[in-house]
Amino acid sequence: MQPEAHAKAALEVAVLVSIGRHPLTGRARRADQDARGVELAMSLDKARITLMHAGALDDDSESALRGYLGMGFQTLTLVEQPRDADVIPALASALSETKPQLVISGERAEQGEGSGLLPYLLAERLGWPVVSGLASVEKVEDGVATLLQALPRGQRRRLQVRLPAIVTVDAAASAARQSAYGPARRGELRCTEALAVPDEASSEWTVQPARKRPKRLKIVKAASARDRFKAAAAKAEGGGGQVLTDVTPEQGAEAIFKLLKEEGVLR
Amino acid sequence: MTGILRRDPRQEWIARNRLHPEHERVLAELGQGTAVATEWVGPNGVIRKNPHAVGFIGPNGIKRIDRSGVQQAASAGRGVGHESAAADSRRRVEIDAPAFLVAVVPDMAGGRLSSHDRDLLGLARQLADADSEQPGAVLAVVFGNHKEDGFGEAGVDRLLHLDEEVFDGYMPEARLAALSTVERELAPYHWLLPDSKLGGADLGRRLAARIQERPATGVWQIEKDDACELGWRCTARGAAGTTDIQRALPRVVLALAECAEPVSETRHAVQPLALSQVLPPLLGRIEDLGQVAVDPAGVALAEAEFILSAGNGIKDWDGFHHAAKVLGATEGASRVAVDDGFMPRHRQVGATGTWVTARVYVAVGISGAIQHLQGIQSCEKVVAINLDPGCDMIKRADLAVIGDSASILAALVDMVEQQREEKRDAA
Amino acid sequence: MLDSILPVLIFSALALAVIGAWRRVRLWRQGRSSPVPILKGLAAMPRRYLVDLHHVVGRDKVMSNTHVATAGGFVLAAVLMILVHGLGLAQGVLGWVLLAASACMFVGSLFVARRRRNPPARLSKGPWMRLPKSLMAFSLSVFLITLPTVGILPEDFGSWILAVALAAVLVWGLGEMFFGMTWGGPMKHAFAGALHLAFHRRAERFGGGRSTGLKALNLDDPKSSLGVETPSDFTWNQLLGFDACVQCGRCEAMCPAFAAGQPLNPKKLIQDMVVGMAGGSDANYAGSPYPDRPVGEHHGNPHGPIVAREGKALVDAETLWSCTTCRACVEECPMMIEHVDAIVDMRRFLTLEHGNTPNKGAEVLDNLIATDNPGGFDPGSRMHWAADLNLPLMRDVKQADVLLWLGDGVFDMRNQRTLRALVKVLRGAGIDFAVLGNEERDSGDVARRLGDEATFQSLAKRNIATLSQYRFQRIVTCDPHSFHVLKNEYGELDGHYEVFHHSTYIAELYEAGRLHFKPWKGGTVTYHDPCYLGRYNGEYEAPRNVLRALGIEVAEMARSGYRSRCCGGGGGAPITDIPGKQRIPDMRMNDVKETGADLVAVGCPQCTAMLEGVVDATAEIRDIAELVADALVTESDPHTQPTAEARIAIKEVAS
Ligand SMILES: Cc1cc2nc3c(=O)[nH]c(=O)nc-3n(C[C@H](O)[C@H](O)[C@H](O)COP(=O)(O)OP(=O)(O)OC[C@H]3O[C@@H](n4cnc5c(N)ncnc54)[C@H](O)[C@@H]3O)c2cc1C
Ligand code: SF4
Ligand code: SF4
Repeated sequence: MQPEAHAKAALEVAVLVSIGRHPLTGRARRADQDARGVELAMSLDKARITLMHAGALDDDSESALRGYLGMGFQTLTLVEQPRDADVIPALASALSETKPQLVISGERAEQGEGSGLLPYLLAERLGWPVVSGLASVEKVEDGVATLLQALPRGQRRRLQVRLPAIVTVDAAASAARQSAYGPARRGELRCTEALAVPDEASSEWTVQPARKRPKRLKIVKAASARDRFKAAAAKAEGGGGQVLTDVTPEQGAEAIFKLLKEEGVLR
Repeated sequence: MTGILRRDPRQEWIARNRLHPEHERVLAELGQGTAVATEWVGPNGVIRKNPHAVGFIGPNGIKRIDRSGVQQAASAGRGVGHESAAADSRRRVEIDAPAFLVAVVPDMAGGRLSSHDRDLLGLARQLADADSEQPGAVLAVVFGNHKEDGFGEAGVDRLLHLDEEVFDGYMPEARLAALSTVERELAPYHWLLPDSKLGGADLGRRLAARIQERPATGVWQIEKDDACELGWRCTARGAAGTTDIQRALPRVVLALAECAEPVSETRHAVQPLALSQVLPPLLGRIEDLGQVAVDPAGVALAEAEFILSAGNGIKDWDGFHHAAKVLGATEGASRVAVDDGFMPRHRQVGATGTWVTARVYVAVGISGAIQHLQGIQSCEKVVAINLDPGCDMIKRADLAVIGDSASILAALVDMVEQQREEKRDAA
Repeated sequence: MLDSILPVLIFSALALAVIGAWRRVRLWRQGRSSPVPILKGLAAMPRRYLVDLHHVVGRDKVMSNTHVATAGGFVLAAVLMILVHGLGLAQGVLGWVLLAASACMFVGSLFVARRRRNPPARLSKGPWMRLPKSLMAFSLSVFLITLPTVGILPEDFGSWILAVALAAVLVWGLGEMFFGMTWGGPMKHAFAGALHLAFHRRAERFGGGRSTGLKALNLDDPKSSLGVETPSDFTWNQLLGFDACVQCGRCEAMCPAFAAGQPLNPKKLIQDMVVGMAGGSDANYAGSPYPDRPVGEHHGNPHGPIVAREGKALVDAETLWSCTTCRACVEECPMMIEHVDAIVDMRRFLTLEHGNTPNKGAEVLDNLIATDNPGGFDPGSRMHWAADLNLPLMRDVKQADVLLWLGDGVFDMRNQRTLRALVKVLRGAGIDFAVLGNEERDSGDVARRLGDEATFQSLAKRNIATLSQYRFQRIVTCDPHSFHVLKNEYGELDGHYEVFHHSTYIAELYEAGRLHFKPWKGGTVTYHDPCYLGRYNGEYEAPRNVLRALGIEVAEMARSGYRSRCCGGGGGAPITDIPGKQRIPDMRMNDVKETGADLVAVGCPQCTAMLEGVVDATAEIRDIAELVADALVTESDPHTQPTAEARIAIKEVAS
């Protein structure tokens, strides 16, 4: 189901996809944001989509990459890179060869450093603009894309960017469609070789499973010790699990009102 | 904390004697925690600990012990009785000839320093003040108009305020050009940006790519380490928050919220600074067409921050919709409300509906079936309005009001409207 | 004169029938190949018809007798008519027998006619309304033309007008019975039905057997198709089976999804398949439509898609996803048609090729792939609920009498209560049991019913590999879905086990005198048969025996046993959640209410969840294990063996 359109009008789109990692089991899978990126590309009118991944091929990565193929693609371009390589040069040269108009990527990878730098470094290298945090692409016309960027609270900002450009998708973008077993099994991973540049800096890092971060405590700064004591005591009783029985609607409403104010959700 | 340690043996004795009538007062004066001393200097100058008094009462009334050190750090200022931390007794600090600059680019969401920004300035102070012989200065680079007057309290020594119009809105290219100029002219020793979506996260990565410095992202802790090039080591989140990467602190740092304590003891000079160069005109390729008006009611449930959710206990539907509108909340529903045709299917919250992540979830007339509760697992604050004090929603709720939904919602609406009225009158 | 045209009429009708039959066979043969023993099947056919089919038909005595009279009369009359009137072998008793047969058929057709006077909604109308008349036309005309043959009436009785009239009626009768049989008239069911019985895809069902496990897809062959996309993707004997449908609507009457107003009607679905295999639109369908889906808007052909990616084709995807796989239709179908197989076959294509499992389906499948449980919980937390129970792990003990299969209910607080109760009972009876703990995975039930055969097989194979490491006599589980899959569906993947539902096992323990109960003091109790225990595995008695042992007299619901109404929880239906007019569990709780019961005993975590999700329910929902655990008398009789709990305690003291 590769969206076919006649070659001239087609918008060349490349989606950079990575190997995701399930947060609980660590199993390889489609990376959530990248898959949303693929979905975003599929929502574009007359787009000719290339899926591209730079990395090593093994059982895990293959099953994850096939996950993207299962969204309805016949091929995925695999720029083969060793495990510890810096993939930017390889991707940059692959992109400058294929010359897509729009490159879509996730905001950050689910494995490795996951710094989210990749789109920026690519953009810098290719000299293209980069726009982050997209919810959707409204239209592409005359080499200009109109985008909706996701803001907090479900709000949106409309932007225009001159193509070619790199964009990253936000979690507010439409969720990826299901990956189907049939197309995933049939799809082809088209391997291309590329120069490998090892990422030396990262070899000096130590990586551990994330520690739980200490939750910051509300530090009460009060003028006198007495106030401090009062504040601490008040916190303990006014905190969670408060149940107001036998109150008038007004009293109840007031308590709710106070909480909404505190949380800053009332405008 | 440089004051001389003066001891008052009588006070210390009272502090040790839990039965002394003045015990609590003395403790409090010593500035030690809530009521009971956890640590004091014993008569022989040995540090004593009261293991029973460690910790504090958590929000659920359960005693918690914090071993992260944050608490200690927080109470360090109060220490053994000197410099009692009153807001009006901040130490003034002026750094006239800084050895180096630590540049911070705060987000200034809403024109003010956000708490994330303040944490970052706290982090910047750690870097700047590490060597008291050769202190650095913290430079804040602020774009656009702002309403902040507390830069000094937040720890800013130098302020570069760039308020040209070109920086308004989403103008990453213009801001990046400005930061590049700062880099050229002032060459800060460190660049610190909040790793916050659409704010520092975006700008910081652009900056790093432009000045070709590999940044550390998701930094949440730094430590002195002379083996590292810049003298610091940092811990940063990697792999979508699932790993911790220990690495040398680079020049460009994108740090998470609560990466450091905000400045609380000192007040800084906020000397204005300007660039000597005029910023070159820029041909932007990204154009901001402005925010799109999205009605809170139309916001997708999964994205909503504030949800008013209706269940089988709603009888007055007009009242409910009106309340949602007045409160500016996104509407949600239990399955029963959907099945009965009062709410559309895409508004259903729960196992077979949407899993919501709202910060505040108000459940009106919803009993709290497990399938419903599953959908609100990650909500921060749950408010329940229900007739039945025994139902499961009440157990989940942070605040529960027992009573008839219609009248409580009506009272709430009145209250909000009245308050808006007052505000308008005042303005 | 009749004498001369009769053979012509009969043989031309026969010839047309043969041509029709050949064409019909060609339609079936569009389907995929599926090897069946042809001769053996044909030989077994009469018995299958007389015994197995009539076992189902016989649930309605009047209809059963009507059918015996009509069909028996017809078969005999037809054969004899060919002999007597076609070949002119009128000697001896043949004529008399023919007379008797046609008379018998006539009587039968009167009953058919009576039934058609005020037909219930489930019966199709249209051509079926003329069937009694056709039957009468045939039987009466055969009767009349035979009268002269046996000499009751003179050879040249009546005028030629009468003869022509008689011939015309006979042509009508022959047309319906012979021509219509193979060219698609109502009588098609006899022809297709007979062959369907002979070549049934689940021959094990005949002779009292049971065959309910879904059949595996071959995933190793990259070319094999994944499920059914077009009518011709069904196997030929499935197509044949669809053709056998008599549109009696018994399936429709039993289908919970249909009753709930979801867009599914098993009868219409089978008829749509018939439309698809011949090509055309459903406009001529004369039964109840899919609720809320008007007839005449769908069409298909043998090689066109059944479900369109966009727009309409033969059936809508929602129709397929409404099914709870409760098997009520299959259980009730007198033609022994396999609706559930067909539905899952089509779902397989939608999931494996289209990637279009609706609603939470995709998410659940992703969870199963990534975490081995549908809820996406940490597989390392499977045993958190039992932290205080000290359950022996297979990994530690390596062997045990009973492997207790916990199921995904471990993640559900409600089901944890059931599991605790079951553990208490097993310990009370001193059973040597162990659990797989974190090594257990979802059985694959829901993945398979959602059409994801790949995930099912992956889970199943890994479970089988795990199970193969340990030694145990039997598996006991309180989840009928795991029970069914382990017992009936792992076999094809080389996992063969003796599996017990907890109710069966508890019943056995009670029989063996290893459990003692306090007398029941609660109110009225009814029992809800889980589909996957009852219809899928024929276990209706054990749970009732357990309840009886507890001193409970079950107040049966109108629909119980093999006719039990589904709770709505099977087949992934709560996940795909296709909207209807009401909810299936609400209907079931109404059934409960009608009995006046205060408590409904269940034996399935899914049923518990569904029924407990009903608001304003009048009865409490308890699992049998919970009732048993509550009533358990733990003896301190020194002669009985120490319980497992006690043994552990002793071990702890010793160590
Ligand atoms: C497989 C499955 C999936 C399900 N998925 C979902 C799902 O995704 N989402 C979901 O919500 N449900 C789901 N359910 C249904 C769920 O089990 C409950 O039935 C449903 O959540 C109950 O909705 P409710 O709380 O609105 O109604 P009720 O349970 O009837 O609760 C109504 C509440 O309103 C209170 N009340 C009544 N009158 C008033 C009044 N005047 N003022 C204040 N309070 C009042 C009552 O005290 C009661 O607590 C699912 C069930 C199943 C079996
Ligand atoms: S299995 Fe049950 S739900 Fe599915 S069609 Fe048959 S009767 Fe209806
Ligand atoms: S499928 Fe079976 S039960 Fe349903 S109408 Fe046809 S013959 Fe009757």
